[in-house]
Amino acid sequence: MRDEISRVVADCEIIEQVEVAPHVFRSVLVEPTIARTSKPGQFVNVRVCECYDPLLRRPFSVHAVDPEKGTFSLLYDVIGRGTKLLMEMHVGEKVSVVGPLGSSFDVGEDPSARHILVAGGCGAAPIHFLSDWICKKHGCDKVTVLVGAKTGTALLCQAEFVAHGVEVKLATEDGSFGFKGFVTELLASHIEESKVKNPDSAIRIYACGPMPMMREVARVCGEQGIKSCQLSLERTMACGIGVCMGCVTKAQDGCCSHHPDEWHYSRVCTDGPVYDAKELIWE
Amino acid sequence: MGMNLSVEIGKIRMKNPVTTGSGTFGSGQELSDFVDLNMVGAITVKGVSLEPWKGNPYPRTVETPAGMLNAIGLQNDGVDNFISQKLPFLRQFDTPVIVNVVGQSVEEYAEVARRLDKAEGVSGIELNVSCPNVKQGCMVFGTSVEGITEVVQAVRQATSLTLITKLSPNVTDITAMARAAVDAGTDALSLINTLLGTAIDPWTQTFRLANITGGLSGPAIKPVALRMVWQVAQAVDVPIIGMGGIVTGTDAVEFLLAGADAVAVGTGTFINPKAAVDVAEGIASYMEKMKIDDVRELVGSVKTL
Repeated sequence: MRDEISRVVADCEIIEQVEVAPHVFRSVLVEPTIARTSKPGQFVNVRVCECYDPLLRRPFSVHAVDPEKGTFSLLYDVIGRGTKLLMEMHVGEKVSVVGPLGSSFDVGEDPSARHILVAGGCGAAPIHFLSDWICKKHGCDKVTVLVGAKTGTALLCQAEFVAHGVEVKLATEDGSFGFKGFVTELLASHIEESKVKNPDSAIRIYACGPMPMMREVARVCGEQGIKSCQLSLERTMACGIGVCMGCVTKAQDGCCSHHPDEWHYSRVCTDGPVYDAKELIWE
Repeated sequence: MGMNLSVEIGKIRMKNPVTTGSGTFGSGQELSDFVDLNMVGAITVKGVSLEPWKGNPYPRTVETPAGMLNAIGLQNDGVDNFISQKLPFLRQFDTPVIVNVVGQSVEEYAEVARRLDKAEGVSGIELNVSCPNVKQGCMVFGTSVEGITEVVQAVRQATSLTLITKLSPNVTDITAMARAAVDAGTDALSLINTLLGTAIDPWTQTFRLANITGGLSGPAIKPVALRMVWQVAQAVDVPIIGMGGIVTGTDAVEFLLAGADAVAVGTGTFINPKAAVDVAEGIASYMEKMKIDDVRELVGSVKTL
């Protein structure tokens, strides 16, 4: 899933800053190469200030691209200093961006496959780009997006998913909107439904969200015998380009190793962020 | 424009005085999308050990004011993998390759050096003496005169490649370590390695690194690094590669003035993947501005007030 493409370091103009939900912002930036070559699941590493404190860049998954206009967007929860600094930047200012980086979601070549996308909280950011991508490649009628959040006001991108024309199902932990419970419960029942409705179609699962959600998605996929389950992980990163080895996760050696002891620390920035669930070792 | 930027570190001729900090430039290939590897003076690659090392659990890094702590645990696939899988890519560039070497015992260091000595395309060995001697009470080699002497002597006998000993700053008197390394036969010194530190999250009341302690790097450590380079330059007569918080060309010039013959860009690469080349260009434009023809004129020429 690793893409061998040319990556850029560029000063990108911010052309839009919008608060789309409480504490959640969308920044739209100009960079034609990133807009043209990014694939869903990939990320960019943003220098949120021209200063030494904070020193390091911040990774953000690509949320949307517009190759014609040469723009791409980021969607993020303002949770710390880095995201606050980015949110506070003004339209017209420039930020240094490195990207696109990392692996991307593999949407396959099977025209009859059903695609189920699971977005937890701000995990909706790359899932939005992926939904658009699969729609264009395989048709929106093959796509279902399951969006989960703690509460209704934190559900992200549902209007955009509806606009894509994909099936959308919502879950909130407090029951304020859609199904009451975890989005992973919705996933289990939707997979069963899909198997009944389309018994001859393969099911492909893609997810991005908090680690407990991802772990549960992997478990449900294993239980349901889903062959393709891809997860996009989040990690604190230093370099973002595979040299510092900071952002690691435990992964099986080789593909689908049958020897659970044979593992290594895999670089999420370069070998990931998108992994086949079977590669990952949960702790 | 007869400006000279080239320097010599032992038998290694660098076209400009900038190399990369070990562990911040991978094995070079990772950065090749961003920089022309012909434009750096030398490539110092990530530390290699005799056998593969798995490294430490996550979290391995934490950002600190103007710096970062890392506790990667020297994860690497071993020297044989490096020679067969990584070195061939580096041979296509007209840039010397310096291989950082790590070990848990004197014998391991020496064996890695022997294997690198036979490999085509390696110009130098940088000894990371900040590893614990697992066979002898886990004391870090580089924090005692005896430890540093033993490991440098053993590696000196194992290779005729240019040998650079990378000093640990976590000592009372770095000049004592520098002298010990020179007496044991090192051709050059590089300094400083990271400063030992830790970080604590007050809200979870836990350490921020799984390993508890880590090495501090970045602009925060530059004053300490400059002081140590200056002290070591006064004490010994071998070439010095200075490093610690270099981000810009003038940062590098400060190290040259303190007595370094060359410099390395480490953490700076994380914030700017082109940093090593930008620093080399920054040194050249400084020299132009200051009307200096030869970079070697700068070395050790700092004046007192």
